[in-house]
Amino acid sequence: MMDVFANIGLGLSVAATFQNLAYCMLGTLLGTIVGVLPGIGPVTTVAMLLPISFTLEPTSALIMMAGIYYGAQYGGSTTAILINIPGEPSSVVTSLDGYQMARQGRAGPALGIAALGSFFAGCVATFVIAFGAPPLAKLALQFGPAEYFSLMLCGLVAAIVLARGSVIKAIAMVVLGLIFGLAGSDVNSGIRRFTFGFQGLADGIEFVALSMAIYGVSEVAINLEKKDEEVGVVSTVGSVWPSFADIRYCMPSILRGTALGSVLGVLPGGGALLAAFSAYTLEKKVAKHPRRFGEGDIRGVAAPESANNAGAQTSFIPMLTLGIPSNPTMALMIGALMVHGITPGPRVLIDRPDLFWGVVASMWIGNLMLVVLNLPMVGIWVRLLRMPYRMMFPAIVGFCCVGTYTINGNVTDIAVMAFFTIFGYLCLKLDCEPAPLILGFVLGPMMEENLRRALLISRGDPTIFVNAPISLTFLVAAALLLLIVAAPAIRARREEALAE
Amino acid sequence: MKFGSILRAVITAPALCLLAGAALAQQAYPSKPVRLVLPYSPGGIIDYVGRTMAQYLTGPLGQPVIAENRPGAGGITGTDTVARSAPDGYNLVLMDPAIVINPTLQPSMPYDLFKQLATVSIISTSPEVVVVSPELPVKTLADLIAYGKANPGKLNFASAGIGTTPHLAGELFKQRTGIDATHVPYKSIGQSYPDMMSNKVQFAFSSIAGALPFTTDNRVRPIATSGLTRSPVYPDAPTVDEAGLKGFEVDLWLGIFAPTGTPADVVEKLNGAIKVALKDPELIKAFAKVGVEPRGTSAKDGEAFLKAEFGKWKKVIEDGNIKDQ
Repeated sequence: MMDVFANIGLGLSVAATFQNLAYCMLGTLLGTIVGVLPGIGPVTTVAMLLPISFTLEPTSALIMMAGIYYGAQYGGSTTAILINIPGEPSSVVTSLDGYQMARQGRAGPALGIAALGSFFAGCVATFVIAFGAPPLAKLALQFGPAEYFSLMLCGLVAAIVLARGSVIKAIAMVVLGLIFGLAGSDVNSGIRRFTFGFQGLADGIEFVALSMAIYGVSEVAINLEKKDEEVGVVSTVGSVWPSFADIRYCMPSILRGTALGSVLGVLPGGGALLAAFSAYTLEKKVAKHPRRFGEGDIRGVAAPESANNAGAQTSFIPMLTLGIPSNPTMALMIGALMVHGITPGPRVLIDRPDLFWGVVASMWIGNLMLVVLNLPMVGIWVRLLRMPYRMMFPAIVGFCCVGTYTINGNVTDIAVMAFFTIFGYLCLKLDCEPAPLILGFVLGPMMEENLRRALLISRGDPTIFVNAPISLTFLVAAALLLLIVAAPAIRARREEALAE
Repeated sequence: MKFGSILRAVITAPALCLLAGAALAQQAYPSKPVRLVLPYSPGGIIDYVGRTMAQYLTGPLGQPVIAENRPGAGGITGTDTVARSAPDGYNLVLMDPAIVINPTLQPSMPYDLFKQLATVSIISTSPEVVVVSPELPVKTLADLIAYGKANPGKLNFASAGIGTTPHLAGELFKQRTGIDATHVPYKSIGQSYPDMMSNKVQFAFSSIAGALPFTTDNRVRPIATSGLTRSPVYPDAPTVDEAGLKGFEVDLWLGIFAPTGTPADVVEKLNGAIKVALKDPELIKAFAKVGVEPRGTSAKDGEAFLKAEFGKWKKVIEDGNIKDQ
């Protein structure tokens, strides 16, 4: 126990030097900017800064890169709330309720609670890393292909059970999402599936193109049908600070989001995106009036924002303690460390405690900087909302196109976006919620990969899924969730709850 | 770096003046920044070597070299953009052995490798390292072969995906030893390590960069390297050749290619600049950190090497019946 405090003290002494504070500030600032801009994300930014980082002291380099990574999670929520364009994939969920809040003139509190929720989650996650890194790293190692598959299956079932409105529609959307996720090269054989001969589809449908189309451009299309005054140019933004009542109302959601994000972030391959989706789903489950979600419920902003920030930070645990990258940004950071002769792994804690604890402490400082940086900026951002909508439309479509193109420099992605804009428009018209589709699309390919990998390893024996205790637990949970939908009594109550 | 580059600028400035004089006459190459396409996502070995190369190539070439990631389709997308671009020396691509593997493996290719791309230089060489799960009672390559023969159908080997060098190296190993092992593909070799530590997969031919974080504290065991000489990173590990499989060699080489039709003097100029950059002690140090050694062949030798590699992997793919459809 005392050790941890001594270690945090060591970390603070490293992180609070003038040089490291400056790099932390630079990182979080850059992160916020690339987070706000769709298309350019933390991976691209870190890749471009990599050669510069070789000349820095390794701790400073890592502090800066970490700042870019979690700063981007922060910035991504700003555009999601204000103009319904998620700047980062992990803020897709934030746009669901955040944008509705903005349209109701509550953009200020939405941005405010996103910042505060993220700050709180960041603080907690810092302590989770400080106290729990070694045991949590062991937990992550327990997850093999079978465990991942069952976890994701459980997640998909939860998405169906908890979706708003018709269960049939939710199932249909999840299945559609899974099917879209099938496009691209098959992992095990390399055969191209559903690419219709397009080279640009060889790696599947680009997530950013799909999510920007469905959430960004389709919304524009729907709004174009309405007369200008109906679209509701937001004239009031509300106070930047959420009211005390708002904070009290959100506190349980922030706590749940933080807890969920901290756990999911530790799993390699989990991270911020999965955390945000799960937290939102969980909120809808525990809320008394789930109907309000999707229509501007502040809890629908607080929970996923807390979760994605917590997840972004705890995903440093497998990277620093095991050397396993949970996403491309982490892979780059491992590369940067290796250049400095530091091989990430359990020995980092022993050989370079200054580096490990310095980076952990800098995250806490960085989160504080983000709040200081972002809250005054909120006032500037919300001015965007005062712009007449007829001027916003072309700007949104333009940003979406540029953003989608810059990810891979692939023209096919823009065509994909056009296709999904029409698709998303039809979904909105048919009152089909796109969130289950997105979840199916994200989880589908990962599920398939792990299912087939597990079966390859077991030589086709499916009992591998029930013989592993962790995997079995998730499968049982999924079965229970399905039972909830199926059981007529509970179903009746569900209808009742939805009817109000 | 800053000081180094100033120093380099001071040294190269007179040379640049001469160049500028010549440029007045006929716009000598290069008169604008050169693009080096890296056909994989940031974070891998190509990205690392490519960015380092771009940085050190800028000095000798006298124009900035800009590294640009164009990932997709196992390197085909990025290579294709260069194959189709103008043959003026301003569009180059850095590629690994996948450039000769893809044409055999893929049923259809958007470009013809030998008709549309020309080798500028094979810039580096790097062995793969054979790593095994620590839970496996295997300390040497001979142990691994013996274990595989005694336990048919028990071994799995990991790779970074179908048709990647780790996959085909494993196939070649199977063909040479006659042991049976199931191929388990991952998105990248790094992702396979948790499963290797817990013995769900038993061995892999990994890039050194991918293996280093796990071999330094023996969470996986390095038992051999795949070059013909020992790797300075693993001086205690014998080569596969030494360990009994005579002539077994898998090289994770990297080469720079330009569109066919690029003028011979431009290719020569690039080749010369590459050779100069590869002698920079700082670059050698940076390469060594990930187990990569500079090579720097002439354009002609590079082309011959490329053809030989093409034939070698074509045979492995056909013998192992690893066709993509």
